[in-house]
Amino acid sequence: MTKILTKHFDEPKLHELETYRRLDGYKGLAKALTMAPAEVTAEVLKSNLRGLGGAGFPTGAKWGTVPPVDKVPGPRYVVVNCDESEPGCFKDRVLVTRAPHQLIEGLLIAAHALGAKETYIFIRGEYQNQYDVLRRAIDEANAAGLTKHASIDLMRGAGAYISGLDTALLETMEGKKAWPRQPPPFPTVAGLMGKPTVVNNVETLSMLPFILREGGEAFAKIGSPKNGGTVVFSVSGHVRNPGIYEVPMGSTLRAVLAEAGGVREGHKLKCVIPGGTSMPPLMEKDLDLKLDFDQIRAAGTFLGAGGMIVLDETADAVDVAHNIERFLAHESCGQCTPCREGAVWTVEILERVMSGGGVSEDIPNLTRLGENVTGKTICALGDTVGMVSRAYLQRFPEDFKKRIPDGQKS
Amino acid sequence: MAKKVKFKLDGREIEADEGRLVIDAAKDAGVNIPHYCYHPALGNPGNCRMCVVEVAGAPKPQVSCRTPVREGLDVKTESEPIKRARAAMLELHLVNHPLDCPVCDQAGECGLQNYYMEIGQYQSQVRENKDHKGKRIEVGPHVMLDQERCILCTRCTRFVDNVTKTHELGIFRRGHSERVELTPGLILDNAYSGNVVDVCPVGALTDRDFRYKVRVWYLDETDSICTGCSRGCNISVHTNTKRPWHNDGKRVARLKPRHNHDVNGHWMCDDGRYGIGALDSGRLGRVLKLTPERRDASWESAAEEIAKALKAGGVAFVASGMLSNEDWAAAKELFAGAKLYFCPEPDQIGVEDDFLRRREKVPNLKGAEALGLKSGSFDELARDLESGKVKTLYVVERDLAKIWGAERAKALIAKAAFRVYQGPNKNELSESFDFRLPATAYVEESGHFTNFEGKVQAYCKALEPIGQARPDAEIFRLIAAAAPAARREVAA
Amino acid sequence: MSATATKSKTPFTPEQEKELVAWTKRYPHSNMGLVEALRAVQDWHRRITEADAARVAEIFGLPFNRVWGVATFFPSFTQWQTGRKRVGLCHGLSCWLAGSDAAEKALRETLGVPEKTCTADGEFSWEAMECLGACEQAPALLVNDRLIGRADAAAIAALKKGKK
Repeated sequence: MTKILTKHFDEPKLHELETYRRLDGYKGLAKALTMAPAEVTAEVLKSNLRGLGGAGFPTGAKWGTVPPVDKVPGPRYVVVNCDESEPGCFKDRVLVTRAPHQLIEGLLIAAHALGAKETYIFIRGEYQNQYDVLRRAIDEANAAGLTKHASIDLMRGAGAYISGLDTALLETMEGKKAWPRQPPPFPTVAGLMGKPTVVNNVETLSMLPFILREGGEAFAKIGSPKNGGTVVFSVSGHVRNPGIYEVPMGSTLRAVLAEAGGVREGHKLKCVIPGGTSMPPLMEKDLDLKLDFDQIRAAGTFLGAGGMIVLDETADAVDVAHNIERFLAHESCGQCTPCREGAVWTVEILERVMSGGGVSEDIPNLTRLGENVTGKTICALGDTVGMVSRAYLQRFPEDFKKRIPDGQKS
Repeated sequence: MAKKVKFKLDGREIEADEGRLVIDAAKDAGVNIPHYCYHPALGNPGNCRMCVVEVAGAPKPQVSCRTPVREGLDVKTESEPIKRARAAMLELHLVNHPLDCPVCDQAGECGLQNYYMEIGQYQSQVRENKDHKGKRIEVGPHVMLDQERCILCTRCTRFVDNVTKTHELGIFRRGHSERVELTPGLILDNAYSGNVVDVCPVGALTDRDFRYKVRVWYLDETDSICTGCSRGCNISVHTNTKRPWHNDGKRVARLKPRHNHDVNGHWMCDDGRYGIGALDSGRLGRVLKLTPERRDASWESAAEEIAKALKAGGVAFVASGMLSNEDWAAAKELFAGAKLYFCPEPDQIGVEDDFLRRREKVPNLKGAEALGLKSGSFDELARDLESGKVKTLYVVERDLAKIWGAERAKALIAKAAFRVYQGPNKNELSESFDFRLPATAYVEESGHFTNFEGKVQAYCKALEPIGQARPDAEIFRLIAAAAPAARREVAA
Repeated sequence: MSATATKSKTPFTPEQEKELVAWTKRYPHSNMGLVEALRAVQDWHRRITEADAARVAEIFGLPFNRVWGVATFFPSFTQWQTGRKRVGLCHGLSCWLAGSDAAEKALRETLGVPEKTCTADGEFSWEAMECLGACEQAPALLVNDRLIGRADAAAIAALKKGKK
């Protein structure tokens, strides 16, 4: 299978500049620096690269919303979102550890395209090893004169999942609580300290060296319609070989599972969470579904950040929904009411059901509560609060009914 | 000037300034969209999600506090999905709310209660236990906090962060454990602390001096002007006459600021707000002749005797900026030829700041100035009293003990041959006069004050006068009428 | 921006004060160093007290309620005293599927203290943490900055003995 980001991951010293350079490293940047910024953006647009942090927004189009310098003068920033925190997602950690220069090269390409003189890598505080790896790589890049057009600095987060949402990330960087902003304005217009700012995910930026080196069309050709290149899935849960797997956009769920060795020995597939635990699960019938940002929607879920969790028949949907809702309730920032109250209420109902105190009204009530929260909050965390409980209720009603004493009646 | 555009509100075509928030434009058009966090002076964080509306073309409900009006915008505030969404938001606000309306002072003017009655959904679906948080927290000299009632709309923290910039309150912790608390080491004692009670849309922040006093639905509201300083903050006087046995018998239950963009915005200071305690204490209700022995007098006989004294000349008229424009006009006529003393002395001078509070702690010095009246100094008055130049001393609502000290003031007053005190309340020296005339308090009369910037503002009668009390202007006119000859003589 | 107004009694050493001031200068705006500065305080004191946050607010020229809001918001910052080895157990879905409940029991029993409580010698504290980004090594533990994968009872016993 075609690999872009993980192609050289068997090279033990890939994290070092010398090795990275030997393997075509920084050729994409060199190419980009010979091009006008607008040409770089055009190439990215051509590549059909989508935001791989979860939103799937076309990267070139996002860049295109940054106002030109003659319209909004002053600094603009590129910020790398390396705040990977959603259960099931760990690909950024591996990408940064193994190929920090791939990210740095991508970031320097983006800086050139966007006219940013300063860039930042915002990394979750728990990734101290990766912080150190990046620090060394940045030092190498600086020493090699690669950062003449744009500086790179690092900043660590402090353990809040919500900091991974672009506007909350910017609030965190500005030394505030990670309360998401409510666009408009979008960060590309008014972001860090009110300046135009592009926030891109680690994986997204890491794709840029290939796109510049090989051309946007070559990248687009690897993927599926409107979904260029590859995607790196973090696979965990009830599989034989948990780990990261890079596949072309539009690969089937079956193919990704096969890469990871399939469901663990002696067990049967129950469902697969495709994009991190906030995303509704795919079922066995979806095995031949093509996984890209658009096609996965047919199954009522999202590609997210590719955090794939495989569940076998031993997992109970009530417990799973509870685990995820508990996470979301803990990570709700508390700014807006429906999420702050709805998440905890959902968890409390599920806990009552789990402890045998469920009543038949709980099922319609959870559904109603889920609907009530969805689409009403400042950011998407609230949507996932409403989506998760409803997804498990809808896909596994029997698991709920058997936990509720009079559940069979409903 | 903003461009006018047309947009649709529940099918009606409405004209509004382009960019005006839908929630405001709707209000202008008579449609009140329920909301908690939005406050025109405190911004629109959009965290309560109550003000959702349907916007044609938008995939999900939009908060009207963050949706600007533009040409052709099509907004629905009462569609079925919006009614459901609003009910859902209200339900989520109430999941952990204690529902203690029967003992809550906010009842009757509470956003939660009002919308609950309006929106319905009376059957609770909540089977879980409610969260318990802090109750009866005295956050400052005037304000009580109940965290369980709080909906975390952040209005109060935005007030202390952005308006007073004193930062005494904060929202600490996170998610479901977050709550409004005092910033460690601080207390809510800024000069404008009472405003957080006004901006709080629920019963989380309440006035300590109003606690359990009287139900708000027994109160009447009258437009008035604060008399605490020369700013002339627009206020509403809330009076309790329907349940006289409530509120410890006090007729004025509380003062609330009334919005006036050009004078006080939405705010008033604590000095003005909480300075109402003495309003009804030591009230003068009878016309008294105190010399040679204390006896009741009629207005007519008093007026006649006073008029005679005024006619004799050597009159010193002592007043203050408490007089209305109407009072000043009548005084100007009656006391033409007399020496006037009304400038603020330390008794009426206090703290000034760069927000609302003014140095002169009386509302209407400008009214006198506008009529060309000039005040002599109180040192000069003391000299004139000492030397016997002052034959008649006429004091209106001013405590000379606070200027000269009680002993000296008493001695000086005694030097005048004829002495009149007029005012709504007793003071230390009000017995040291020949006549004591009861005047109305500002809440018992209507009139105008001219604030320090020259704005003439009306205040309205909220209560009936006590006993025989009359407005100052009326008393002046009564005396003038009793001595028409005297008046002509002085005028000539 | 007045970086620091009064030199009140500081809970920090002169070197630490210098580092905090350095964080005000690292990024284009002084406020941008706040979270990193508070991370440093958490490292030094193994918690952030009101006095700590108040001094940081002074150094940054920020209102105290803003700094205290940040210090109480982020899970990395604690107002309780963590152990010199602060152990975080991931209980995200993959770790839970792989036995984080058993690991929690082992932590409680091996370390002998409830969650968010420091052992008497100050060496250890443990707490549940949200996803550590190590789902392929579930269940995952974070001991200060060090990740320990496949945290079973044996691994936790080794951790206690200082062997891991």
